[in-house]
Amino acid sequence: MTTLLQQIANGIVLGAVIGLVALGYTMVYGIIQLINFAHGEVFMVGAYGGLATYTWILPHSMRGHWQITLPASMLGGVVVAVVVAVIMERFAYRPLRNAPRLAPLITALGVSVFLQEAVRLFYPDAKSARPFPAMFVGGGLRLPVPGGQVILPWIRVALVVIAILLAVALQMYVNRSRMGRAMRATAQDRDTARLMGIDPDRVIVLTFVLGAALAGVGGVLYGAYQNTINVDMGFQNGIFAFTAAVLGGIGSLRGAVIGAFAIGLIKTLGGQYLPGGTQYDYVWIFVVLILVLVFRPEGLFGEAEKVRA
Amino acid sequence: MTRLTSYLRPGMALPLRVAGSVLVLVGALLPWATFVLNDGPYPAKSTLQFFDAPFEVGGFRLHMALLGLAALVVTFAPVPGRGRILRGLGWGAVLVSAVNVLFIAYNGGGLGAVTVADMPAFGGLVALLGGLAVLAGAYAGGIEQPVHLPTGLNRFVAWAVLLVSFAGLLMMVAWTLTAGGQGGVANPYAGAQFLSFLGFAGGLLAALHGAGVLPWISRLSEDHRPFSIVVLLGCALALPFTGAGTDYWMTVAANIGVYAATAIGLNVVVGLAGMLDIGYVAFLGIGAFVAANLSGAVAAKVDITLPFPVAAVIAAVVAGMFGSVVGSPTLRVRGDYLAIVTLAFGEIFVRSAQNNIGGLTGGPNAIPGVPQVSMFGTGFSEPITLGGTKLPSGVLYYFLTVLLVALVMGMFANLKNSRIGRAWIAIREDEDVAKAMGISTGRIKILAFTVGATTAGLSGAVFAHKLGTVSYESFKFLESVTLISAVILGGMGSIPGAVLGASLLFVLPEKLREFSDYRLLLFGLALVLIMRFRPQGLVPDRHRRAELAGEDIEGRPLEETVSEQAHLPTAAPVLPGEARA
Repeated sequence: MTTLLQQIANGIVLGAVIGLVALGYTMVYGIIQLINFAHGEVFMVGAYGGLATYTWILPHSMRGHWQITLPASMLGGVVVAVVVAVIMERFAYRPLRNAPRLAPLITALGVSVFLQEAVRLFYPDAKSARPFPAMFVGGGLRLPVPGGQVILPWIRVALVVIAILLAVALQMYVNRSRMGRAMRATAQDRDTARLMGIDPDRVIVLTFVLGAALAGVGGVLYGAYQNTINVDMGFQNGIFAFTAAVLGGIGSLRGAVIGAFAIGLIKTLGGQYLPGGTQYDYVWIFVVLILVLVFRPEGLFGEAEKVRA
Repeated sequence: MTRLTSYLRPGMALPLRVAGSVLVLVGALLPWATFVLNDGPYPAKSTLQFFDAPFEVGGFRLHMALLGLAALVVTFAPVPGRGRILRGLGWGAVLVSAVNVLFIAYNGGGLGAVTVADMPAFGGLVALLGGLAVLAGAYAGGIEQPVHLPTGLNRFVAWAVLLVSFAGLLMMVAWTLTAGGQGGVANPYAGAQFLSFLGFAGGLLAALHGAGVLPWISRLSEDHRPFSIVVLLGCALALPFTGAGTDYWMTVAANIGVYAATAIGLNVVVGLAGMLDIGYVAFLGIGAFVAANLSGAVAAKVDITLPFPVAAVIAAVVAGMFGSVVGSPTLRVRGDYLAIVTLAFGEIFVRSAQNNIGGLTGGPNAIPGVPQVSMFGTGFSEPITLGGTKLPSGVLYYFLTVLLVALVMGMFANLKNSRIGRAWIAIREDEDVAKAMGISTGRIKILAFTVGATTAGLSGAVFAHKLGTVSYESFKFLESVTLISAVILGGMGSIPGAVLGASLLFVLPEKLREFSDYRLLLFGLALVLIMRFRPQGLVPDRHRRAELAGEDIEGRPLEETVSEQAHLPTAAPVLPGEARA
């Protein structure tokens, strides 16, 4: 019983990280129908940006104060992730806006490999995993449950809280603000949106920026709770996040978050209870991905995919 | 490019061309490096060599001199397609000089190495400037319509032409393979020399293409297909008798062959049927693991030893069966979702192999000790003597892969022109229309996956025996990306393209050992750049060109053909191609 509850708690934490990445996937897909394969790499770049901020920019005297280190690292991660995403959109994706559909996907693949290798080669000592500083108060939340207790370190609690706050804020921004309305209009019909005085290019850049910012926050928090980051983390978590976005119905913000928690739970519980243990927990996620894509490609909350030319 | 060329006027063409050619020629003869580099004298180096020994200019300086001379001759000789030829030669000169200047500057510690450190050495910069001038001259004079040389030749003349050109191709391949020598510590300049040679060869081929020679030869070889196939096969088998006939190059060539065959298989799925498969390397892995388990290796789970041909067929069949499983979601999933499904299957394969599923893959220990293929009493890794000539070891594997590639190419070419191939292309162009035309799209799409996977499985069997060790490490996601890069670089849907792409992507890391860390970085960048600037690839498939580059099958821009048609209502019908919106 304790194990089950502990694994559920772990799953929720993982789901929160995946959710931050999945929101970026789902927004970009909603607007330009591109599977931004490199979005996982933006998450990874964000984590390294946060680490770089902590290592080189923050004065050493500040290191003990989580009230400063955590927000500063998150800011650093967000800035790096956003800059990378804007460059990527401008030079890799925008020129292909009207190209045949395979072209941007192949480009996204190329960008993903490029970013991963660039960090591996040019970030000092990135060829192996890098330790990530603990940026939050130690200790944790101890929840008494029948037959023992579930321990949840405070950083994980903070992660879940921050992720949920950001997701709610994003939802409100998209639903209530002027730019949010422009985003929804562009997603529905880019040409008509243009006739209504919306500049689709601006909206698309904004979408990439928002997605990258969330991924940057996610990357730093992921590093802070895993205590280590590596260049592969983007690929793995990117796939998880993509699966989450598809599961929840790609294009739907609420769906992406719910899908992310589902994926987090599948991974931790599958690793615990399904045959093969943690060695095969990735496999279960891929199986879910295939099943969803084949049998319910519109996801749990999405609309049926429109047939596009 | 358009923005740059808009500054050029036709009047500038002649002076630019003359000045450029002369500068290239002069640059070739001037010294290039101001001092002896850290790793010893740079090949074909440097000082006022020409004036001591006028006929001993070699290496890249000889290439530069040839390019300059050719440009000068073309500038004045009345040849058709002059602008196109000069464009090719100009690019060649720019690439060769850029590679060498950059390398000398990089290795010699900055611009001083190519300007005035110990002594003035402006050869590189002069040649670079000349190359750019030739290029500008070519664009200033305007790029003409493609040249068409007459094709209806007497059979024996055509045969002679084909024989000569294929022999030339063989020499070109041998030179390219051996250019710069074997990369590594012993030979620090291999990479630069090889790239420089590639620039020269590329420029030369582009010039020949501009003069209409290459299209002419390809037209001729299409008209005399059986003859061409025999001669090409003969040329491929003759490679060990050229300068490339050493152990090392035979091994490299055989590796390329395995990947080329695999790339052709992938091309069926991606290029013909238009479905992006980003987990394709799993089928190579399945074939390799099946063959390894049936080979009698100590670590094999299955305790039967089968002769290689039988094992290879079984490997191909098993991989093909997995291919139809992976392809079955195509019944419901399209486009980028399908790509993700294939990725998921690929990852499941790698994870399972890594965890030694069923004891079949050896997990992290791999399956070592797969014996060499042995037939007619000879092990395939042994050197053999053929007709009095001693051939290097590994030559039998090379012959095996030549046969493999020939088989796959033959199959692919026939499929492409068959009812099934046309159905694939129709599905690629528009699946709904294809269905409306009576193609049972589901079966045909699964067939594409099955054919592709079978090919990869067959290659996998050769791979397993040739390498001797089969590990899941060889079949990771990034290997799939490499194969996709090969197909896209060569040109989607094009058979020679897939072979060329695979050769380039697997020779380059072999030559550029010192840059091997940057291999994947460059692949990623290459994918982005190709999609942006040349989506149809190096050797485009005719129909694919119409679709991706907005040119018709003769290489003319579509808008021009359309307006031409408007003026000449009786003009020959043009293949309908979809221009980019």
